[in-house]
Amino acid sequence: MNLFNIISELEKVDPEIMDRLSHRRSALSALGSLGKKMALAAAPIAIGSAFNKVLGQNNLADPTAVLNYALLLERLEYSFYDQALKAATLTPTLTGIARTAIETIRGHELAHVNLLKAALGAAAAPEPANGFDFGGAFATYPTFLTFAQAFEDTGVRAYKGQAGNIPRDFSPTVGGATVNVLTVALQIHSVEARHAAHIRYMRRGPAAGAQANIMPWIVGKESNGAPAAVYGAGNPVATFPAEDNIMQATLTLTTGLGATYSAADVSAAFDEALDNTTVTNIAKSVVTF
Amino acid sequence: MPNSFSAFDRPLRRRSFFRVAGAAAAASTLVLSGCGDPGTTTSAPDPVLTLGSADAGLLNYAYVLEQLETTFYKLVLDTPPADLSAEDKDLLTQIYQHEIVHREFLLKALQSAGATPLNTLEFTFTSLTLTTRAGVLAAARMFEDLGVAAYNGAAKLFADATYLLLLGKIVSVEARHAALLHDLLQPGSFADATVVDASGTFAGLERSLTVAEVIAEVNKYLVIKVSAAGLPTS
Repeated sequence: MNLFNIISELEKVDPEIMDRLSHRRSALSALGSLGKKMALAAAPIAIGSAFNKVLGQNNLADPTAVLNYALLLERLEYSFYDQALKAATLTPTLTGIARTAIETIRGHELAHVNLLKAALGAAAAPEPANGFDFGGAFATYPTFLTFAQAFEDTGVRAYKGQAGNIPRDFSPTVGGATVNVLTVALQIHSVEARHAAHIRYMRRGPAAGAQANIMPWIVGKESNGAPAAVYGAGNPVATFPAEDNIMQATLTLTTGLGATYSAADVSAAFDEALDNTTVTNIAKSVVTF
Repeated sequence: MPNSFSAFDRPLRRRSFFRVAGAAAAASTLVLSGCGDPGTTTSAPDPVLTLGSADAGLLNYAYVLEQLETTFYKLVLDTPPADLSAEDKDLLTQIYQHEIVHREFLLKALQSAGATPLNTLEFTFTSLTLTTRAGVLAAARMFEDLGVAAYNGAAKLFADATYLLLLGKIVSVEARHAALLHDLLQPGSFADATVVDASGTFAGLERSLTVAEVIAEVNKYLVIKVSAAGLPTS
């Protein structure tokens, strides 16, 4: 998808397009005759933040920025698993079915990287010049899994935090197929959640210390050794509460649903979103890139 | 107000819903559908329940899915198979609690939206093998996988982003449930090719199903069928 071509085509049809797209409603009515898909494909540059919902500290102005942010996170995850599978320190312990599982996850992250690159085309950001340095993450098998849990759970929160920033009918052509970007983001999001659940399941196993207190889901804001910020609040707190949040849509779910439910169950039943600034800060706190 | 969503403070436009009292429904409240079960020789049309339209209909769609799951888990936990371990039961009980919270929350959301919740459903699980651990976990895995694919497909259909964000908070938990059930049945199958594309343009993406595809699956476990007619498709 070449956004720049679309913009120039739009400008041929409507030379004043850049001036007239000041907010969403006028953008859609101005562009109605050209077809919404084209309009939204042009949205990244022509409209910029006009389509961006006010969802707190998400400062990603357009779908291109959202996709590049996702691309960075996927590159980080792919690099993390790739380095783990190649780390001499993990050769004796990361074996058998555990190694196969990490290979599966690495394969998914690589597929996500490739898909996002295809969707972005020329707008894809370059890889970090010096790659990713994970420090002592691969020292031991349990340490590796602790980091893996942190990255997967953060990834789930990161995608959730961008759901409102992707126009719902933004459907560019990728690899010859029309794809709805919001749906694709969700299809990646649920895979990351499966990864997170599996990493947590691995941590319950004997090789990782038989930590039966670790559940596949997030109970309260228990971090199980991962950085606390992974489960903490984003900015603003009202939009991005911590994972121990028990209130949804102004309802306190422990006591507001007709019966009493435990805070553990209520908090686990909903995963919370995170803004991109908080996500990036978490990544930079444990990875050099 | 923390976590406040304006969508909860205003009624949604909706088509009329039909309130049905279980299987003993009054015929006047039923919509008649022209298609009987394939493979049967019945000539009388089957009664059908409708979900409604627009966002309210989509909330009902999610509500039906959560009712399917809670009803299933309750049945399984009330009469567990002999070979279900204590750890299995503990994990399934936690999942069941999450699903109850989802179900009751969606009920509140429907009520807040001024919609009529479709909660007069009668489920039947006689087609499933629920007398063995493997049978129970396979059925649970199927329902959780279905829920994730359903929410993945429905997200873009909401007019109000509030609901999209709320479903986003639920769907990743369903995916965690699904991954665990895969692992309990077959370690390492948490994201196998049955649910995540292994190759091609969409490699690494989880299944996404249309409302019609999901309802066809759900109807296998409903005494009175649900119709997806009226729900948005794009």
